[in-house]
Amino acid sequence: MSTGDFQFLLFLGTLLFMIGATGVLIRRNPLVIFMSIELMLNSVNLVLVAYGRALNSLAGQVFAFMVIVVAAAEVVVGLAMVTRVFRAEHTLDVDRLDEMKD
Amino acid sequence: MNWALWLLGAIAVISAISLIWSSHALYSALSLVVTICALSVIFLILNAQFLFAVQIIVYAGAVMVLFVFIIALLNPRAEERPRVDWHMVLGILASIVAAVGVWTMAGSTAVVQNGKIRGAVVGRIAHPSSFAYTEQAVNAHGNVQTIAGQLFTTYLLPFEVSSLLLLVAAAGAVYLTHHARKGL
Repeated sequence: MSTGDFQFLLFLGTLLFMIGATGVLIRRNPLVIFMSIELMLNSVNLVLVAYGRALNSLAGQVFAFMVIVVAAAEVVVGLAMVTRVFRAEHTLDVDRLDEMKD
Repeated sequence: MNWALWLLGAIAVISAISLIWSSHALYSALSLVVTICALSVIFLILNAQFLFAVQIIVYAGAVMVLFVFIIALLNPRAEERPRVDWHMVLGILASIVAAVGVWTMAGSTAVVQNGKIRGAVVGRIAHPSSFAYTEQAVNAHGNVQTIAGQLFTTYLLPFEVSSLLLLVAAAGAVYLTHHARKGL
């Protein structure tokens, strides 16, 4: 893999991470926020695999595999929490979930 | 420069922007599927066939089906698009600052000699002997076999701990949803 390809992949990973972080910051639907977090985890996976390929190491792929496992567990628990909050509050707007402020 | 990488990167970025800009959560989910598929093909180009399969099966299969199922179950009304206010400007500015910082750090850690990447600074000092998996060495045994060999020897403890994590996550999800059904 050439240096140009490697730097392009690093740039792509950073750009996708930035888009995901922006989604977390500007959206109010918790489901879309979760999807943005998934996007951020995926961009980190891309950088891990690109580094592993550039350095002739398998550690990048193994770590990306672990990240996928943790992401799956996070989605399961997070969606269960979203379901429960929706049943209790009947809203999917994180700006309205502010009982703990009072 | 590989033109396929450009094309896949453009598809991934456009669908990612569509993810955070769609007014309905279902459109966001479909955009995320497109991004994930583009990234999985990039993994294939990077000689990571095992991760390509895992990405398609776990993300595009299991996780996104779960997302679509929850969206259909909760049936959220279409949210209006994100308003352009100072919150949004602040969020985008913070993301850009963080991205520039990460990009600078990533550029400074890669050690390039004669147009080839020779190592990241930290990794080369820590484990000079772990960079032995050249493309030919991996292809001689196959990507899945080589990764399995690493997973069940060097990374055996993290592998077993991740199985425990999945078990705890499944039990937690069952507990959360089951308790809610009894009527809080």
